Amino acid sequence: MSNFDRRDFLKTCATGMLTAGLVPGARLAFAEVAANSYDTLVIVYLRGGCDGLSLLTPISGNDRGFYEAARPNLRVPVSGNGAALPLANSASANATWGLHPRAAALNTIYQAGRMAVVIGAGMPAPVTRSHFDAQQTMEYGTPGSTGISSGWLTRHLASANLPANITIPALSAGSITANSLIASTESVTMGNGGDFRIDSSAWNWNSRDRYVDGNGNINAPAGFQGLVERLPELWAGNSPLEASGRQTLDALSIMRTINFQNYVAANGATYPNTGIGNQLKMIAQLLKANLGMRVAALDLGGWDTHNDQGVPTSTYDPFGNNVEQLSAGLAAFYRDLNGTGANNFAQRTNIIVMSEFGRRLRANGSNGTDHGYGSVMLALGGSVNGGQVYGRQDFAGLAGEALFEGEDVRVTVDFRRVLSEALIRRAGNNRLGYIFPGYAGYAPLGIFAGTDLPPDYTNTFDRVFASGFETA
Amino acid sequence: MSTTIAPSPLLATRNSLVSALRAAIGLPEAQAAADMRRPDKAPIDQRLVETEAELPPLSPAATPPDWIRWLTKATYGYSIGEAVDFQALPGASVSAKWDSWVNRQLDPASIVDTECSNRIAAAGYLTLGKSLPQLWNDHVRLDPPYFTRMLPAAETECATIVRAVYSKRQLYERMVNFWHDHFSVFGFDYDIGPLMPSYDRDVIRAHAFGNFRSMLEYVATSTAMQLYLDNYASRGADFNENYARELLELHTLGAANYFGPTPPFEVPCLQADIHCEGTVPAGYVDNDVYEAAAALTGWTIRNGYWQYPTENDGAFTYRADWHDRRNKIFMGLYIPPNSQPAMQDGRLVLNRLCAHPGTARHISTKMCRRFVGDNPSATLINAVAQEYAAQISAPDQIARMLRVILTSAEFKSSWGGGMKRPFEVAMGGLRGIASDFTPKPDDTSNWTTTERFAWHMQLSGHRSFSWSPPNGYPDRQSAWASTGSLAMTLKMLAWLPEMRVNNDGNSSLLSDIATHTNAVFPQSAAPTATTMIGYWCDRIFGYRPEPVMSVVTGFLQQNAGVAETINITTDSWNINNLKLHYTQQRLRTAVGMLMMSAEYFRR
Repeated sequence: MSNFDRRDFLKTCATGMLTAGLVPGARLAFAEVAANSYDTLVIVYLRGGCDGLSLLTPISGNDRGFYEAARPNLRVPVSGNGAALPLANSASANATWGLHPRAAALNTIYQAGRMAVVIGAGMPAPVTRSHFDAQQTMEYGTPGSTGISSGWLTRHLASANLPANITIPALSAGSITANSLIASTESVTMGNGGDFRIDSSAWNWNSRDRYVDGNGNINAPAGFQGLVERLPELWAGNSPLEASGRQTLDALSIMRTINFQNYVAANGATYPNTGIGNQLKMIAQLLKANLGMRVAALDLGGWDTHNDQGVPTSTYDPFGNNVEQLSAGLAAFYRDLNGTGANNFAQRTNIIVMSEFGRRLRANGSNGTDHGYGSVMLALGGSVNGGQVYGRQDFAGLAGEALFEGEDVRVTVDFRRVLSEALIRRAGNNRLGYIFPGYAGYAPLGIFAGTDLPPDYTNTFDRVFASGFETA
Repeated sequence: MSTTIAPSPLLATRNSLVSALRAAIGLPEAQAAADMRRPDKAPIDQRLVETEAELPPLSPAATPPDWIRWLTKATYGYSIGEAVDFQALPGASVSAKWDSWVNRQLDPASIVDTECSNRIAAAGYLTLGKSLPQLWNDHVRLDPPYFTRMLPAAETECATIVRAVYSKRQLYERMVNFWHDHFSVFGFDYDIGPLMPSYDRDVIRAHAFGNFRSMLEYVATSTAMQLYLDNYASRGADFNENYARELLELHTLGAANYFGPTPPFEVPCLQADIHCEGTVPAGYVDNDVYEAAAALTGWTIRNGYWQYPTENDGAFTYRADWHDRRNKIFMGLYIPPNSQPAMQDGRLVLNRLCAHPGTARHISTKMCRRFVGDNPSATLINAVAQEYAAQISAPDQIARMLRVILTSAEFKSSWGGGMKRPFEVAMGGLRGIASDFTPKPDDTSNWTTTERFAWHMQLSGHRSFSWSPPNGYPDRQSAWASTGSLAMTLKMLAWLPEMRVNNDGNSSLLSDIATHTNAVFPQSAAPTATTMIGYWCDRIFGYRPEPVMSVVTGFLQQNAGVAETINITTDSWNINNLKLHYTQQRLRTAVGMLMMSAEYFRR
């Protein structure tokens, strides 16, 4: 059952399997364990402006000297305790590079050729050092403008020529939808699968599934409808509010049949019990359930390190703690998905890590770093041509005159270039003009395996076609 | 069993008819939960999008009377008590009574608020009366266990709930909440938690209706904000820019007036073609952030820093030796170098920011959005901004701005242009069902009602003082209509009628809806589903919206006739005759359904 969508599910139920279908977890039993027939993009957003120069540190060459001079008390060392992890294939004009030591689990994936790093990545001009401006315009996919009011992932989904019916095309992990998925009617925003059900009203009138017996049979009499079944009638109107209410009730209904508590990660993976660890685990479960998820977005905050950022040579290391959370979470996710044969979900899962901007080369007076410009991006997955630092040929370096305004890492790789490559080579969507209006001159860096398509830079888009009149 | 899913009857407006049909033909076995993606669904919901253009006016099925809309938008939700108080106000017309209401609410000290203050006193909170030095000593310096360290934040959260539900100074409480968002700190942060009673009381509550410039300096010098945005550690030429940036971007001018890394003299001036004395640039650039940061160096706290180990009471102080003494040019204003009077450089920055029309517009827009809806008109924003400027030195500048909003035609006519946020519907729900809830932190292993309430708020994404970035909780429908937040808000609302003294299945309900209903409608009065749901609509909404009234009545009624009495004196299993099946639980569920309707989220 490779294309198991909600309509099929309901039909199956209606012909006699309904009761079994409503047993928590039974839904998953229907879906064969099989690698999905489509790719999933997982976008991890590091909120607050990640210090790219600590995540990926120059470990030799002139740039190392500039780095040490600018950060007398805020260095990742090149040897000894807390030393950076040297990366092969990382040489830029004036440096070679190493990963933060707390990213050891990611380093393993890099060494295995399944993680790539992009250096000098960020937003093209106009430059903004505002978190909220930068995050919003980046996630809208429109540097310098917030006028478009839908996310780049929203427009990707709308233009990706997807089948008409997909149970969950997109997930935004959290309680408030990421701007990259804003205005999408085909996404679920959910922080925690196990909690994502209305089960808090008086028990005997909560829902039909309250009357399930030990064999999975629902013994509520015909005609019984609890709160859960009646709720849609209170959200039937025409306002935008009610439209989102219906989307919410759809999402609750889909998730209600899934047992999120009993998930066992594969391949010996152990998810850290952190926000990002739990959200990645939830995404892995949904991904393996083959619910059609093309896109997932999640956040990791805490990168706004103006004060006492920490160094890996000290036990006080807030930045390093955050790196470890990211690293341990992503490594568990990758391992969980990286089975063989039919269990090779990693092959079609493409993780991209990004942040709104990097931080200034020069440390401030309170052992922190203020808002800067260029940063790094990461790409992980079974289809990533990893083990390399991309963008290094174009990297401007850390010499004073090479820096933006003499202070910040220059952006030499437009973030849209990386995302576009994932869209074209992995998701088969070449509608760059629609997804990133105004973007031109795309050329792949070669981060992802896949087939190139000529970019379509037109930004008009036939909504009628997209609305599902194509055959599924 | 039917093999096809009938077209959903849920969109029909004639719900009573549908209910009757259902009963006659047997109900569909499962609601057809649609795919998130499906052919008939627009790929991008443009209606929810934040745009500069105004949203089309909404036309809900039934609109409430004017004065109930006004109360709903200006308070934490309609309640019978609010209505009674309103009707007792002087004024021959509803409009005149509204003017009286606004006048009274803008003078909160004139409102006797005994029920609320008694409830807070009875709660026995331990930390809310402590001064800043006491909080610092007891909860920071003495390094108590985590529960005690964070007790001040937890009790501030509890008192915030009590005031939102029970205070008669409703407009004041809404404005306190507004400023907690505008000058947001992460209250459950390890460093800030111990100080929250002082930040709430001495900074936010003390100035919620006051003067913006004055409030801004109280915020700037508050220990909570000093810690949150790192200004306490900003010293000399290697200053820390965190606070200065958010001061400009979030607290005063707003991102709309940010010109990026542009050279300062390329920003156009508002009053002249060239930058000179008496003009002000249209907005700020990164260089102004750096200059403001330099001007604010030396503004710090007495936290036992190694240079001053004996100064450790948590209070604000100015350290001239930490001040960056170089000259500065902030938004066209030349600030000379060297020995200025203490704090003068920083105060010049605050003055310049507060005098800027961009700040007036930014603050006014946010206030209008909070009280009118997502897209207030430029006309209203300008009127409020003009009041800001005209009253720039008035001690009640903010109250005067609020009056402009609340007495405007736009406030009076708008409805449905915004969405209540989770905290607002939660507080409204507790008010509507007259819940008896005094939350209190707990140090035991019990999962208490207070803790469960906080958990529900956390799931909704809107627990008080829990937003970690400095921009405060969002105030637009596009955020709170997210499936995650809305689903978890519905989950919380479903629980409100089930809340008990202890978070168990048998202690007393905080709002005993069945007992109350029995008292109002004894069996001798033969109450029907319509009677009872009408009553609860009146309590919760102040009107009887359709289709909410019909749908919920049908749910309570089950297979009973329209005129048939529903017996809610007992609560027992009777699955073969649904009208008798757990009637008290059904009534509580029905009352929950009223609050879980789209109608209840409108404002």
